[in-house]
Amino acid sequence: MSSLSVSNAHKTHEIAVSVRDVSLTYSTTIDRRPTFKTRVKALARGKKQTRVVQALSHVDLDVEYGHVLGVIGANGAGKSSLMRCIAGILPPSQGRIEVYGSVSTLLALGVGFNPSMSGRDNVYLGGLAAGMSREEINGHFDEIASFSELGDAIDAPMRTYSSGMFARLAFSVAATVRPDILIIDEALSTGDAKFKEKSLNRVKELRSDDRALILVSHAMQTLRETCNDVVWLDKGKVISRGEPNQVIDAYQEFLQVGKSAAIDEDV
Amino acid sequence: MSTPLQVYEPFKAGLPKLGKYWKSLWARRTFIAEHSKSELREQHFDTAFGQFWLVINPLLLSGVYFILIVIIGGKTDTTRYVHLTGTLFLFYLVANSLSSGVKAVTSGQRLILNTAFPRIMLPLSSVVIALFKFFPTIIVFIVIKAVVGSPFSIKMLWAIPILLITTFLALGLAITISCINVYFRDMASFLPYMTRTLLYLSPILYEASALKPELRILEYVNPLFPILDSWSRALVYGQNPELFSMLAGLVWATGIFFIGTYIFLSREREFAVRL
Repeated sequence: MSSLSVSNAHKTHEIAVSVRDVSLTYSTTIDRRPTFKTRVKALARGKKQTRVVQALSHVDLDVEYGHVLGVIGANGAGKSSLMRCIAGILPPSQGRIEVYGSVSTLLALGVGFNPSMSGRDNVYLGGLAAGMSREEINGHFDEIASFSELGDAIDAPMRTYSSGMFARLAFSVAATVRPDILIIDEALSTGDAKFKEKSLNRVKELRSDDRALILVSHAMQTLRETCNDVVWLDKGKVISRGEPNQVIDAYQEFLQVGKSAAIDEDV
Repeated sequence: MSTPLQVYEPFKAGLPKLGKYWKSLWARRTFIAEHSKSELREQHFDTAFGQFWLVINPLLLSGVYFILIVIIGGKTDTTRYVHLTGTLFLFYLVANSLSSGVKAVTSGQRLILNTAFPRIMLPLSSVVIALFKFFPTIIVFIVIKAVVGSPFSIKMLWAIPILLITTFLALGLAITISCINVYFRDMASFLPYMTRTLLYLSPILYEASALKPELRILEYVNPLFPILDSWSRALVYGQNPELFSMLAGLVWATGIFFIGTYIFLSREREFAVRL
């Protein structure tokens, strides 16, 4: 596998991701921690041990290069499951997903980080976890450090960081990866207002003709400003897809909260 | 440059494409090394006191067991102490691989849920950590051997293939147990009792030759038995290990590795929904 941050030349409107009739059903244990003891107990009582979750149902979706696709929906609508399927983390139970290019996911911040190590060490750990090579991280280190605005604190252990500092460094590492297809799942609401704006600007910079971006967010204003297309998911199904303002308006009407400041505000 | 195409489709059971899987694992080798190093640093093994503890812990244990042997068995043979220390150190390579491997997948939840990578990397990293912890104990063993005047021989080099077989076995066990723990989380609680039992069933507190004939079945049913016996023959007595023991160890290690890896690889795609 080559490095994830290698970008290939793509033409605008070439297909980047093709999702065809994808469903995701999985069984999960009723107990949060499945143990031998609970299995034996459940068997003895003849109780069901698992429940079936239908996370996605017959989803069809194409994402083209040069486009930014926004994904909206209530909690539990299947947004993260769909992103995990596209990233190859969860295999679909039905259908087919084709991904033409390298994918990088920003589904959570600080993946691979070790709090007992310094910020500097974690830049390497996080970068390697995201699929970058050591040489690439070396080449981008100064950029990451200055973007995170941590100053000398970069050499302090990460457990001494505030949550904002942690998120700033994590976002800085993640935003350095330059994949063909970038999936960002609600990871933009980091740090203070100034840093939020800065990270949003970075995402806008990442929009280019030879890259496809998928943004999952509850921040409607950000999606209106950034996306070419928005898809609305509910209970694992695509409800509608199209021009951002139209889809978002329909979604907000559905939520019966209208255009409130609370929805528009947060990035 | 051609565009890499990834296709994700449903799977029923069975293995992923092994060539692709291996390539992907190989591409992550720097991350495996860095991840293992960070775990070691978290346990302070990069500091002088941390390394000291690494050596002093098995040394104290061997001391305790030796006193027990002296009290119970009434023997003060120094070779016995060399045997006890050497085998106990090798046993700890396997025991540490198991104790760190059992939680390798469950504690890697954030990585598994948010990044696509070969999951086998996690138990593999546990064995790398156990190896890092093992190497300083070899130096301690050589010092003990020299101090008590136990002879050195070229045949001690048999220790190298034996160590390779042990690492292979440790890897197979770590892969298997990390997968079992996803489905039965209390496995981590059973593990200390299991390793303690394995310790008593292995030729550590006693020598293989001292075993009663009716207990010789342990040679066949305990994967560690032939390995530890060979290790003691080579390192303590400077003899060639028995071909049967070497082969038995290799067969056990290969069997456990392949069965464990098959189970792991055929289940790993559903780990994300099990954590």
